[in-house]
Amino acid sequence: MSNGIVKILDGNTFVVSDASGDIEASPTDPTGLFSYDTRFLSKWILTINGERMNPLSVDDLQYFETRFFLVPGTGTVYVDAKLSVIRQRAVENGFHEKLTILNHAEKPVDLTVRIDAGCDFADLFEVKDALEKKGKYSSRVDGDKLVLGYDRETFNRSTVISASESARIDKSGLTFKIRIAPHDEWSTHLDVAAGLAGLRRERIDDPEASQRRMRRNLERWIDEAPRLECDNDPLKATYRRSLVDLAALRFAPAITGGRSLPAAGLPWFMTMFGRDSIFTSLQALPFTSELAATTLRAFGDWQGVGLDDFRDEDPGRILHEMRYGEMTAFEERPHSPYYGTVDATPLYVILLDEYERWTGDRALVRELEVEARAALNWIDEYADIPGGTGYIWYKRRNEKTGLENQCWKDSWDSISFRDGTLPGFPRATCELQGYAYDAKLRGARLAREIWKDDELADELERGAADLKRRFNRDYWVEDGEYFALALDPDGRQVDALGSNIGHLLWSGIVDKQKAKAVASHLLGPKLFSGWGVRTLAEGETRYNPIGYHVGTVWPFDNSFIAWGLRRYGFKEDAAVIAAGILDAAEFFEGRLPEAFGGYERSQTMYPVQYPTACSPQAWSTGTPLLLLRTMLGLEPRGEYLVVDPALPSAIGHLELLDIPGRWGHVDAFGRGRVDVDRKRR
Amino acid sequence: MAVSPNQTVAEFFDELGKRGQDPRLNKAKGTARFDVVDGSRTERWLLTIDKGDIGVSHKNAAADCLVRANKAFFDRAVAGKQNFFAGVLRGEVTVEGDPKLLVLLQRLFPRPSDRRRRRPSSSARRKQ
Repeated sequence: MSNGIVKILDGNTFVVSDASGDIEASPTDPTGLFSYDTRFLSKWILTINGERMNPLSVDDLQYFETRFFLVPGTGTVYVDAKLSVIRQRAVENGFHEKLTILNHAEKPVDLTVRIDAGCDFADLFEVKDALEKKGKYSSRVDGDKLVLGYDRETFNRSTVISASESARIDKSGLTFKIRIAPHDEWSTHLDVAAGLAGLRRERIDDPEASQRRMRRNLERWIDEAPRLECDNDPLKATYRRSLVDLAALRFAPAITGGRSLPAAGLPWFMTMFGRDSIFTSLQALPFTSELAATTLRAFGDWQGVGLDDFRDEDPGRILHEMRYGEMTAFEERPHSPYYGTVDATPLYVILLDEYERWTGDRALVRELEVEARAALNWIDEYADIPGGTGYIWYKRRNEKTGLENQCWKDSWDSISFRDGTLPGFPRATCELQGYAYDAKLRGARLAREIWKDDELADELERGAADLKRRFNRDYWVEDGEYFALALDPDGRQVDALGSNIGHLLWSGIVDKQKAKAVASHLLGPKLFSGWGVRTLAEGETRYNPIGYHVGTVWPFDNSFIAWGLRRYGFKEDAAVIAAGILDAAEFFEGRLPEAFGGYERSQTMYPVQYPTACSPQAWSTGTPLLLLRTMLGLEPRGEYLVVDPALPSAIGHLELLDIPGRWGHVDAFGRGRVDVDRKRR
Repeated sequence: MAVSPNQTVAEFFDELGKRGQDPRLNKAKGTARFDVVDGSRTERWLLTIDKGDIGVSHKNAAADCLVRANKAFFDRAVAGKQNFFAGVLRGEVTVEGDPKLLVLLQRLFPRPSDRRRRRPSSSARRKQ
């Protein structure tokens, strides 16, 4: 909760309201009831005898339910309340609200309780961009229900509102005329159902049973995750926060039979998101493998099969983003789904291999053989846009509504030369080549061990070795001893220094003799702020400590950099990064933001949050999980889990108990011995 | 698969039946009925899919997935001029039953840029 805004959600259905539970949305702000990227309620205002409610407190029960304690009247002086009001609300195919009014007086009271309801049926894209609607609105009373509707040709969305107690229903709301006896109470259940023609999910008839089911599900989720015991209380709190937020970010698309994958973030990104869902699944693997399995299956089902310029679709390409709203339906946006990302496809193969290494689930690797082969094929056949270079490049074919930057640093100015010049398109950013290298080697392992195709394995290994050799030649910036951010269309090095080099360590594409220099940059004063590695190094022309991808610190980025440092044996450096990011998490009550300012730690003493509408965000939520993995040095080796801890000394004693995997469950122990402050200097 | 720009709905389904096999449906198993509504007439195509094998008939039988739209929609879809899922979101296509089957079946419909930019594919990676 921040600024009086309360959010609850279940999958891609969520409610954002003020602290009294009211919704009063303007065209551009993201309050209301949303489901499948459409706003289903933009007005929901409670009055009693004409008075609005005054919030006393809000009880965030779970991520899907909340309770508002209110009194009538909005005066600034203390209200001598003879009435109190409780709204308990849970999300479930819309939302369900139990409204209770208590009469504390010694006399009976006669009340007019009114709910004003209305809806603009805005597409999420419209809420972000403030666009005009093209269809027709309707509002009708259908027996004991109020039906709000929106129609545009065959497109229909509706909101059905009903109450358990008798109400007078008109086109703009519900009115209850009630009398409450002294010291008695009155209550009604209000039901708001989101109607999506063609996409309707099964209606659950008993909302309370559904809430009980969701509560049990959350308890099980927490119970099944490894238990963290440690001397460091903030770390325990951060871990718990991550597990609960990850539970909240789970999203079960219609095709997965109720199983969940991680959506990218609340509220704007509660959808399948290629890169984010895969990175988050990777981060979470030592704690739960379910997210990875569902991500792999669902993205496999939606894998590109043909060429569609509007959607930037190619055969074998993994999707970037799926949307269900009106603008997508009318192809004013390409998200049905949109394929404009170039990292999700190699990352898909990486996730499949990493998943098998943890779980031993060979059946899924066999099930997804065709998809994994098609993804590997895409790297060579479709991603090399100029042709003959052997690198992954990006250049959108949908020039109107497609994405210009198809790597994770997707803002307009993220990829630049030292002098600040921006390269043209296509661009081949360095981390993409690392992912391709890793995907080929991991694909080779799957081919040899599981698909029993030695020929393919040999070919992939040869391709990977060749890629590594060329990459270390073409991207290496001699005078700076690091890898260039990208190659430009003429094959020139885009030579600014950025955090991307850390991902290269994670991928293993860096020549051993170059790794030390890369690690020194990552922990050096230009990139390392004291909290974490900046996206762009201080001193570069475009460096800005609060620039989205040109100086801020991204927790997710750092978690993969730490993993990369471990991979090349820089255990203590990885611990320094883990310590910095986990220290920062404490300032955000365990919920790491998407990004925070790149200011020097000694200068601000606290991490400066980057203003963003999206929190919690999945790959920030997954960051503490991956950092636990890197600090403990957890690595599957055949049927065993290797534990090789290198913990910051401030953490003290740490135990991660019941780590699930192909070994059953094992425990990992460690004691903080890395003197982070000394290392940092 | 060659895309014929002017193929009719009947030609599309007939061709599927003749092909008899499509690796893009390797994971699909079940029946899907496409109801093509043309005024008061409805033409029905029943697809029986078993791990890539496809049988096509005109049987009016219950199916795991029922897909219904008017002929104009299908005309566009078989010509690669219409994204299938956008049609579902728009309510132009109604789907009852197994949504996963529909996601796999939409792979069969040609993509708008297929003809123009087909690049040679390497056979080494493709497992048929």
